[in-house]
Amino acid sequence: MSAERAFSSVRVRSLAESQAVAVQVRLPGGSRMELTPGQASITGRMLAEGTHRRTWRQIAEESESLGMAISAFGGLETIGVSIDALARDWERALEWAAELVLESAFPQDRFEWLVEQNSAELQSMADQPEIKTGWEFLEQLYHPHPRSRPVQGTLEGLARLDREACDGFWRQSLSKGAVVTIAGGVGSEDRVQARAEALFGRRTRGHPDERVALPRGSDEAFREVSIAGADQAHFYAGHLTIPRADPDLPALQISSVILGSGSVLSGRIPQRVREREGLAYAATADAVAGAGLDPGRLVVYLGTAPESLQQAESCVRQEIDRLVSRGVSGREVEEARSYLIGREPFRRETAHQWAELLAAAELYGEPVDQPEWSRNRWLAASRDSVETAVRKHLHPSRLKITVGLPS
Amino acid sequence: MSLFVPPTIRTEQLSNGLQVCLVERRQAPVVATALCYRTGTLDEPPGQEGVAHFLEHMMFRGSHQFADGEVDRLTQALGGSNNADTSHDCTTYFFSFARDRWATALEIEADRMAGLLLEPAVIETERAIILEEVKMNQDDPWDALEEEVMAALYGDHPYGRPILGNPRSLITMNRSALREFQTKRYRPENAVLTIAGDVGPEAFDEAERFFAEIPRAEHASCRSLGQVEAIGNRRVERRQGGVARLLCAVPGPALREREYPAMRLLAAMLGAGRASRLHRVLVEELRSCAFVSVDTTETLGAGALLVAAEVIPDVQPERVERRLMEELAGASSGGFDEEELARAKSVLVADWVLGHEQAQAIALAIATAGALMDVGLPARHLEKIRSCSLAEVERVAARYLRPDNPRVIGWSLPEGGRN
Repeated sequence: MSAERAFSSVRVRSLAESQAVAVQVRLPGGSRMELTPGQASITGRMLAEGTHRRTWRQIAEESESLGMAISAFGGLETIGVSIDALARDWERALEWAAELVLESAFPQDRFEWLVEQNSAELQSMADQPEIKTGWEFLEQLYHPHPRSRPVQGTLEGLARLDREACDGFWRQSLSKGAVVTIAGGVGSEDRVQARAEALFGRRTRGHPDERVALPRGSDEAFREVSIAGADQAHFYAGHLTIPRADPDLPALQISSVILGSGSVLSGRIPQRVREREGLAYAATADAVAGAGLDPGRLVVYLGTAPESLQQAESCVRQEIDRLVSRGVSGREVEEARSYLIGREPFRRETAHQWAELLAAAELYGEPVDQPEWSRNRWLAASRDSVETAVRKHLHPSRLKITVGLPS
Repeated sequence: MSLFVPPTIRTEQLSNGLQVCLVERRQAPVVATALCYRTGTLDEPPGQEGVAHFLEHMMFRGSHQFADGEVDRLTQALGGSNNADTSHDCTTYFFSFARDRWATALEIEADRMAGLLLEPAVIETERAIILEEVKMNQDDPWDALEEEVMAALYGDHPYGRPILGNPRSLITMNRSALREFQTKRYRPENAVLTIAGDVGPEAFDEAERFFAEIPRAEHASCRSLGQVEAIGNRRVERRQGGVARLLCAVPGPALREREYPAMRLLAAMLGAGRASRLHRVLVEELRSCAFVSVDTTETLGAGALLVAAEVIPDVQPERVERRLMEELAGASSGGFDEEELARAKSVLVADWVLGHEQAQAIALAIATAGALMDVGLPARHLEKIRSCSLAEVERVAARYLRPDNPRVIGWSLPEGGRN
C-alpha cells in the first residue's frame, strides 16, 4: 500500500554552470522525535530498501547505471533521501526521490538486515576512542533528550525495534510534510518546480509535533571512559548553550570563531593548546556546536597524551575564563566576522550544498540561502553584543568534562 | 545535454620553471589554489623518516613576511581556508578565498617557498604535535592496520613507510635535516601551481608577480622511484577494538601505466556501490560484512588494489576471507558482463563530476596530476575509462588477481578474541 500523498514545499535553484543536480527530500521527524533509539535512523535508511515498484537491488542497479548517488538517512531532525546525479538526469532523480519517499515498502527481510548492519556500525564506531568518549559527553550534557545518544541509536534500542514501528514512524513523518529541494544545472526553475509539485503535491507544510524531552544533563561534572589499548587521552569539555533560533546566535558564532571553530588553527584554544604549548594535534572549540531546534553546546575537544591532560585542561579553563571575564578585542571581532562572511560563498559552491541550504531555509524558516541575510546578522553584532552574549551563555563554572583514558 | 564537459586547463611556465595552471570556473565567486611539490616520503634520506611531513607542518610556522601563526590568522581574517597534505610522492599546499582576495594565497606560498624560517623553538613544539598525531593514527584501527599492510606490501621501499615517520626518527629530527630537505626539494621548477575558480588570465600575472624572483636550483635534484621487491604472500594480524577489519592489498599498476584506467574500472566493478560484485556477495547475500570497499592507490611507482571490509560481529573472519579469495579468483577468470562494466563507467564519471564541483577539489586534482605526470592526466583517464572494453578489464583482472599472485592479507581482530 502506498502512503497518502504528503504535504510538501518545493524550492528550486538553477545553477547555470553546474553539471550536477542535487535532489533532497526531508521529512520532519528525526531521532529527536523517535520513541525507540535507532527508530529514525532505520526508518530513514529503509527508504532505499524497496518500494512498491522496485526491490533494493533494482534501486541499486538502476540508479548506479546512471551514476546516481542515493543516500537515505535518518538524522537528528529529519529523515529523508538525498540524490546527487548528473544534471541531464534531474527529472529521473526527482522521480526516484518521490518514489523512495512516498512509496516505500519496508520489506521485513531488509529491515532485519539493516538493523544488523546498523548495530555493527555502532560497534565499529565505538572502536574510535574520540567517538566513544564523545558519546559519553553528549549523554552527560543532553540526558534525557534524544541527542544524548548516537543518532544511529543504541544496541538495546535496535534490538527492540520492529518493522511496523518504523513503517509507522515514516507515515507519521510524512504526515508532517515533505521539504523538497532541487539545485543544479536544471535549466528552467519553473519547469522543475511544476514537476516536483506534480510529484509531491502542492500543499502547505504542516507543523512538527513537539514532544521532545528537554535536555537536563547529568549531575556529574566529570566522567571518565576507559579505552582499551589506546595511546591518547580524549578530552571533551563544555555545556549546553542556545538553539538556532536564539537572537544571540550571530554574536555567539563570532565568539565561537574567536575560541576556535574556524577552518584554521587561529582560535584561542588551538593557538594556546596546540601551537603554543604543543599539547595536542587535534584541538577544536565551538560555542554553538549542533545548534538546531534544540540547544547547541559549547564543546572543546583535545586529543592529548595522558600525562599532559591536566595541563591541557588547565589551558582550556583559563582560555574560557579569559573569554568570559576579559572579553574580546575589536580586532578579534572584526576578523571573526570577516571570516564568517568570507566563508559564505563556500557554502554555495555545489548543487548538493545549495539543496541543503534551501532545505535549511524551509525547515528553520530563515532565509539562509540568501547571503545578505547572514551577512547582515553578523554585521549587526558589535563587540559589546558579543561580550554580552558570551557572559550570558558561557559559564566556566558549569563546564562538564568527559575524558577517555587508555586502560 | 552532454554527459559532462572536462575542465579546460591553461598552462604557462615561468622562467624559473614553475608551472602555472588556470581552470576558470564561474559557478561561485571563489578562487582556490594548490601548490604541489614533487617531493614526499619517497625522497626521505635513511634515518629521516617523516621529514617531508614534518616540513609540511613547519611551512605554517613562520617565513620572512609571515611570522609564526600569521598564515592562519590572515587566512581566517580573510574568510579563507588552508591546509596541506603529504603523500609518498608529493606534498600539496592549498588555500581557498573569495575572488577579491585570493592572491594572498600566492603571496604566502611564494614567501614560504623562498624564506622559510624553521625557528628551533617552533620545531620543538611541532615535534610534540606530530608525536601526538602519530599516536592518534595508532589509535584508529583502520589507520593502524593500513600502516602495517603497506609495510608488508612494500617492504623496504619508501611506499612501505608511514608518512608521519616513526617516534625514533621524529625525536632526532633537527633543523639541518629540515633545511636540507626544503632547500633541495622546494624549488619553483619542482612544483606545479594551479589556480581554479572565478578568475581569468590575470591569474598568470599574479603568479609572475609573486614567484618570478625565486631562482631555480643551480643543480637539478633527481629522485628515484626505487625498486619494489617482489613479495610473497604475507599476513598481518593485530588486535584492536571490538570489530574485525580486513584489508587485502594486491600489487597493481602505477598511475602512469597503460593498464591503470582499466584497473580503476575493475575496482569499481568489484566494490563501488551496492550493486557491485563484492558488496552484493559479502554484504547483501552472505550478510557477513557491514561494508566492503575497493580502491586503487594513485602512486607514481608500484600501485596496489585495496579491498577493505568490516565484518559483522559473530561472523567468522575466516569465512569472509575465504569467500573474498574465491571472488577475486573468480574475477581473475572473467565472468563480468557488459552491464557491470557500463554501471562502473557511469559511477566513475559521475564521481568525477560530483567530486570536482568545488574549486578546491579541481585545483588539487590538476596540481597533483601535474606534479605526478601531467595536468591532462585526469581527463585522459576519464576518456580511457569511458572507452575501455570488457576484454581490457578482464585482461587486467587476469593479470593482477590470479590466485597465485602475491598479496598481503591484513586483519585487525577484536581484542579478547570475539568474532
